[in-house]
Amino acid sequence: MRARDLAEQFPVVHLDTPAMDASRLLVDRALPGLVVVDRDGLPLVILPGSQVLRFALPEYVEEDRTLAAVYSESDADALCEGLRGRTVEELMPSRQFLPKKAADRPIVDPDANLMEVAAVMAEQHSPVVAVVDEGQIVGVITVHRLLGAALPR
Amino acid sequence: MTGLAAAALVTGETTNGNEFSASTPVVVLAIAVFVGAYVFIATEWVHRVAAALGGAALMVVIGATDAEAAFFSEETGVDWHVIFLLLGMMIIVSVVKQTGVFEYLAIWAAKKAKGRPYAILAMLCTITAVASALLDNVTTVLLVAPVTLLVCDRIGVRPEGFLIAEVLASNIGGTATLIGDPPNIIIASRADLSFNDFVLNLAPFVVVAFIVFLVLARWLFRRSFTYHPERVQAIMSMDERRAIRDPALLRRSLIVLGLVMLGFVLHSALHLEPSIIALLGAGLLVVVSRTSSSEYLEEVEWPTLVFFMGLFIMVGALVNVGVIGALGEAAIEAVGDDYFRAATGLLFGSAVLSGIVDNIPYVASMVPLVSDLVAAGDGAPGADALWWALALGADLGGNATAVGASANVVVIGIAARSGYPISFWHFTRYGLVVTAVTVLLAWPYLYFRYYAFS
Repeated sequence: MRARDLAEQFPVVHLDTPAMDASRLLVDRALPGLVVVDRDGLPLVILPGSQVLRFALPEYVEEDRTLAAVYSESDADALCEGLRGRTVEELMPSRQFLPKKAADRPIVDPDANLMEVAAVMAEQHSPVVAVVDEGQIVGVITVHRLLGAALPR
Repeated sequence: MTGLAAAALVTGETTNGNEFSASTPVVVLAIAVFVGAYVFIATEWVHRVAAALGGAALMVVIGATDAEAAFFSEETGVDWHVIFLLLGMMIIVSVVKQTGVFEYLAIWAAKKAKGRPYAILAMLCTITAVASALLDNVTTVLLVAPVTLLVCDRIGVRPEGFLIAEVLASNIGGTATLIGDPPNIIIASRADLSFNDFVLNLAPFVVVAFIVFLVLARWLFRRSFTYHPERVQAIMSMDERRAIRDPALLRRSLIVLGLVMLGFVLHSALHLEPSIIALLGAGLLVVVSRTSSSEYLEEVEWPTLVFFMGLFIMVGALVNVGVIGALGEAAIEAVGDDYFRAATGLLFGSAVLSGIVDNIPYVASMVPLVSDLVAAGDGAPGADALWWALALGADLGGNATAVGASANVVVIGIAARSGYPISFWHFTRYGLVVTAVTVLLAWPYLYFRYYAFS
């Protein structure tokens, strides 16, 4: 089995997509993460749901975890305060962690075997990789799909 | 270095009578190393730890100090009382911060203030000032800043003014006790002053200065005080008790902290150094809190401790080659028996210099000099009070600029990460006013308490 056989359709988001819309996509489609594409439409980075949450959290809660406990049940809206008015670009890890060369992108070749796909996923701590053929996204492979194909029945 | 003092060095002998050469080349080199390291520390061209250690290393290379003097001399070596007192308090803080007591107090205060901004600011500043008197300033503001951001977010006001006010309150509060501010720790050790000496001589003034500061803050930060009655519910709905995750840990920590404070108060009577009290307290807390080594060492700032060591060795080398002794003699001559003039100079000079450079290296270098002055006074009325002039100037001067004290730098960092950048001048605008007012208050305090009636 090759990467192209596992690839499935998957929505992508752009750097200027509002963070609220992107998060809504994550929820409505039950996605494990967001595929962020650069201006050429090539996948730049995967934002796992946990990463999106990290930016949704107010900075002071991250600075001092104890503060998380003092919110009341009715304060759920405070959780997404950090997303309001931001774009996907602002949710990204700082510049230095962005891929500098093609090999660091969450991308696999259509001909890649499952072991190669798994290696890219593991190395990038990413629940999703994109299958790219000659500069075009063919589809993506989620960790569920990959493990589903690999685990013995 | 004046020509007079340099001449005295060449002809005179070293003040402590040890074997270090006071020949001109060594003296000139030692001064060059010291000034060079100071420039690096002040400008941050190299990291301050590297500057202090590099300076200490060069002092050894040029023959201005050696292992014996650097490690074992009480006058010219690393002051282990200071290092271990800091270490002990840092361990205690590491455990206390895990209890959530600061978060509890801050949210409790905000609720008591019913969401009114100035009342919240006053209460948060009071908590900060009291905590800073008992613990390290940097840790205190590190604990108070995030909860302040939370509270400001909830009541819908911008937090910059609150954060700046807390830093200023922390530096004022830290002035009150021996353990409140690192300069006080250094002064206490070198001048052999007790915890109670500090409380009796500095705390009364600090209480007054803090009240004046609170009144001043009402006007200084007036633009931060927009009251949003509709947001009050957002603060009242918070549950501060949930911040205390482990009540047993809190109880034990507070008991040990209480014992440590009692130990400090009684340390002269017990014939125990404050450093020993702090280490015993830290040890006891480690045992009763059952925390792991990574937890109880979390707040230990190893770079700071190493910075102190380098600094002590550098200043010790200057003493070894007689520079400090010569300066001291020049100072004694200049002062004569007019100690009030000396105290005035120390107070204002220290305030200005501490605003520009970190007050820790400043005080470490000034202490041997003031020590000579006080010794020359030989118990004369007003001579001992020079220590208080130095402490007040250096501690309160730390408020003057954004880089005057470590707490300032730390809070500005947190504010920037949370999306509220505070520029150098933004901070300094407020800092200068508060420093000027508190130092100007300290001057008549010194006069009436130590000089007017003697």
